[in-house]
Amino acid sequence: MSWALHRIDDRLIHGQVLVAWGARLDPARIWVVDDGVAASSWERDLFREAAPGIEVHVASVAEAAAAHAAEAQAPRAAFLLVRDLETARRLADAGANVEEWNLGGLHYAPGKEKVNDYVYLDARDRDAAKALLAAGARLVVQDVPASRPVALGVLDPEFVR
Amino acid sequence: MSAPQAGEGMEGAGAKTPPAKRVPALIVTHADLAQALVRAAERVVGSIEDVTLLSNEGLSRDDLEDAIETCVKDWKEGGLLLTDFWGGSCHTCGATAARRHGEVVIVTGVNLPLLLDYLHNRDRLSAPELAERLQQKGRDSIRVQRGVPA
Repeated sequence: MSWALHRIDDRLIHGQVLVAWGARLDPARIWVVDDGVAASSWERDLFREAAPGIEVHVASVAEAAAAHAAEAQAPRAAFLLVRDLETARRLADAGANVEEWNLGGLHYAPGKEKVNDYVYLDARDRDAAKALLAAGARLVVQDVPASRPVALGVLDPEFVR
Repeated sequence: MSAPQAGEGMEGAGAKTPPAKRVPALIVTHADLAQALVRAAERVVGSIEDVTLLSNEGLSRDDLEDAIETCVKDWKEGGLLLTDFWGGSCHTCGATAARRHGEVVIVTGVNLPLLLDYLHNRDRLSAPELAERLQQKGRDSIRVQRGVPA
């Protein structure tokens, strides 16, 4: 069972993940994969306590890549969250085999161009997305289970495979 | 209401002295729930001051943290952050942004009875005391009335 959702979302653990995806897929574990969060004991504790009833693992990219295959065999469902496409690419480069990434929330920041209401990309994001696609991963844009999943290439022709 | 005339009743119910240490509040929610809650509260108690409102709409984690920090940075003696639910971005970003600004306490699960109780007690209790009280008030406000077949 295990991996039920690999999500790229700059809010990491938040309402859509806990309430919408959580109700749909009932995860037993959430992996927050972020070098910055993993390096801060304060933020690690904050995320560990953010999802009552769900075991939250906060891991660096290297730690998550090392644990990824074993987690895939674990009982019940698990989510993996990264905050940006670059982290997803680094995780893949470090050996994690992820077939599909859910693009759930990449919000506006200066220099980023709109793809849809909740996905904005800059040149660095685009490079990482292309690298993931070239390595064979699918990139699917969908904020919540109730909305229609759409391949990134459908929203932006730059990403047609 | 018309403005009171000179020498008419200013000493009594109308006289307002500024509170010595009012605990400020910032309400952070999804969409425009914060605005709607305050609008609803104003229907009950009249116009409300010293409550700041913020939505997480369209904001990344970093931007939401910055927005919350901007709202609380001038709080000298702490205050309350009221957010919609535990584990949401309003809560976790609030926790990160607030920890640099004194005694800021977060209460999640804000509802109308909880907000009204804050308004009634914010001039006499400290932020931690208010938080304890509001947690209980918010819980107690959720009750079930079973229908009785006629």
